[in-house]
Amino acid sequence: MCVGLSAKVVSVKDGTALVDASGAKREVSARLIDSLEPGDYVMVHAGAAIAKITSDDEAESDEVMAMLG
Amino acid sequence: MTETVTLAHGAGGKQTSELIDKVFKEHFSNPEFTPDDAAVLTMGSNRLAMSTDGFIVSPWEFPGGNIGKLSICGTVNDLSCMGARPRYLTCGFVIEEGFPLSDLEKIASAMEKTANEVGVRIVAGDTKVVGKGQADHVFINTAGIGEIMEGVNTSGAFAKPGDNIIVSGDVGRHGCAILLARDDFAIDADVKSDCAPLWQAVENVLNATKDVHVIRDATRGGVGTVLYEIAAQSNVGVLLDQDSVPVHESVRGVCGMLGLEPLYLACEGRLVFIAPESQTDKILTALANSEYTKGAAVIGRITDEEPGRVMMETAIGAKTLLPQPAGELLPRIC
Amino acid sequence: MNENIEKAKEIIQGYDGEPLRIMEVCGTHTHEIFRLGIRSLLPDNIRLISGPGCPVCVTPNGFIDEALELCLNKGVTVCTFGDLIRVPGSKMSLADARAKGADVKMVYSPIDAFEFAKENPDKDVTFLAVGFETTTPAACIAVDEAKKIGLHNFSILCANKTMVNAYRALKGSADAFLYPGHVNAITGTIPCEELVDEGIYGVVAGFTASELLTAIAVTVRRLQEGKPFFENCYPRVVTREGSKSGMELIEKVMEHCDTEWRGLGVIPMSGLRLNEDYREYDAHVKYDLPHMEGHTNPACRCGDVLKGICSPKDCKVFAKGCTPQHPIGSCMVSNEGTCSAYFQYSL
Repeated sequence: MCVGLSAKVVSVKDGTALVDASGAKREVSARLIDSLEPGDYVMVHAGAAIAKITSDDEAESDEVMAMLG
Repeated sequence: MTETVTLAHGAGGKQTSELIDKVFKEHFSNPEFTPDDAAVLTMGSNRLAMSTDGFIVSPWEFPGGNIGKLSICGTVNDLSCMGARPRYLTCGFVIEEGFPLSDLEKIASAMEKTANEVGVRIVAGDTKVVGKGQADHVFINTAGIGEIMEGVNTSGAFAKPGDNIIVSGDVGRHGCAILLARDDFAIDADVKSDCAPLWQAVENVLNATKDVHVIRDATRGGVGTVLYEIAAQSNVGVLLDQDSVPVHESVRGVCGMLGLEPLYLACEGRLVFIAPESQTDKILTALANSEYTKGAAVIGRITDEEPGRVMMETAIGAKTLLPQPAGELLPRIC
Repeated sequence: MNENIEKAKEIIQGYDGEPLRIMEVCGTHTHEIFRLGIRSLLPDNIRLISGPGCPVCVTPNGFIDEALELCLNKGVTVCTFGDLIRVPGSKMSLADARAKGADVKMVYSPIDAFEFAKENPDKDVTFLAVGFETTTPAACIAVDEAKKIGLHNFSILCANKTMVNAYRALKGSADAFLYPGHVNAITGTIPCEELVDEGIYGVVAGFTASELLTAIAVTVRRLQEGKPFFENCYPRVVTREGSKSGMELIEKVMEHCDTEWRGLGVIPMSGLRLNEDYREYDAHVKYDLPHMEGHTNPACRCGDVLKGICSPKDCKVFAKGCTPQHPIGSCMVSNEGTCSAYFQYSL
């Protein structure tokens, strides 16, 4: 379920965002995220931006492995 | 339910082979009947290659080419795979009533240009017109013959354990360009079809070394399908290095959005070479010096493990199976 | 390879305790685990079970029969994700129906199906709404937009599901869950945190190699410690609150109901349907479509496979009647389905 893709927000207008995933551009709904701005990175699924992405997975893996002390 | 022909039978994968085996092989079988891209025929002292291909593509015009260019490249590349210099082509048109003459002109002009580039002559043709709705704009069939270079002997059955697998450029661009041109998914990306005639590249390779076991044209079903065909024909295993398969960045983006595997997307200007490791550098240099194959890369090797299967070494040091493409390529979203 | 991947691998491969069963409940997790070859790295005492996380696998075939009724007999243009095209109904799949002339259109998003209806007022368009909390908001947006502009040729056939009660139903089938990161992106992590009190443990996992391996490593370590746990191992995307707008949208457009999960039976209050305000967009209501039971092959054991009770090889139809070209059960339909994977590896 739920193929997600990280993409960069190019522009936002009337609840719709233009996103760019390594050169593949598409309009998606921006209704699920408050205060989306150009330059934000988002996870995109089935035509909607579902969440903001706050770091890359490498930095994240430091945080996750730190849980193990 | 009565068995009928479905789109899956035309997708180039397992079901296509089953259809060929069950229906066509049953009736056409003879010593020259071939599972390769072109048949090898001996006439007098000459070894000739002969091939035919039908072209249906919607839309007929796409970034990077049109159905005319495609129809020349397809047959030229099939002949090239046998190490044959393409000499003569024929073409048959099926045209839908109402198709603009100016567009037909465009198609013919692309055919002329591509044929001239390769040095192949279009020597006979046929034209049929069908009523509105009985064809999708225009269908083209081309057939061709070529002279096989002396000392060259390639076949999908000749891959040997230890051989390297080389692909002549990034994979899946044609399939991606067509998918985008159909605009079913409202995705915009700058992807041009890889559609190109590859005889010059093959000639350069074969002038550098004749020690090449397999040359195969990766068309519908993509590089993944071709590798499965070779694995079966040669009864060997294929081991790919997942991360060394070249994929254009935008193709990766589109595939990411639609849950597609680039290895299954069609190419129209990509060859798979399988040759002994010792010949790899010569082949790569020859490809790097040819116009349409500058992005060539080694993507894996032939093994004696898991015959008939395509395995992949992954980025985390594990091994996995590349599932055999079955039927129509479907986006995976949910 | 980054050093955290190495560390995670060491933890996983160095595990020498009691056998562990970890269940991933997301089709894309299953797909990525397969693509990356993660199973081949696991020691014998760690088993990854592919649970009912792919909407295709858990949608009863009666749903496909209903979709077939719409496109074959009611003249409806059915819009669907590509995922459902090959899924067998009682008698045929949508691909078979298309070969018979039914109008079946693949879309990337429910919102595209809505746009298609808007541009083609002469067609009656129904979107096949499957999916969990990740996918449901997009279907809600489509319906909400249709209502806003009073569009009458658009509807959805709703089989959306919610995950939390499925975890409860599967409690005994696994020692811990890899929670589907993109579901939690919408729901937040609170529902999973609350499950800890019920003895249901797990971690939210992302989808890259490092995210999957570190999430599995954390799970193994926490199970080894033997204490109740929940961890968010996908913090770059998943927040505790999730998408407030997404959850509000679901509540605005839909209501909870009991629903059948293929292979698992009915799970109370684990389904969603359009509520009173949006009922005119419910294809069941609009086309007076009866609920179809569907006929499954009684020999098919997909349900047991989904629960990790049996291996595909224990099923009588596996590799005999049921192959990737002619799937009987849902686990054979997609390449990453458990049965399909077994078939391709072992035959």
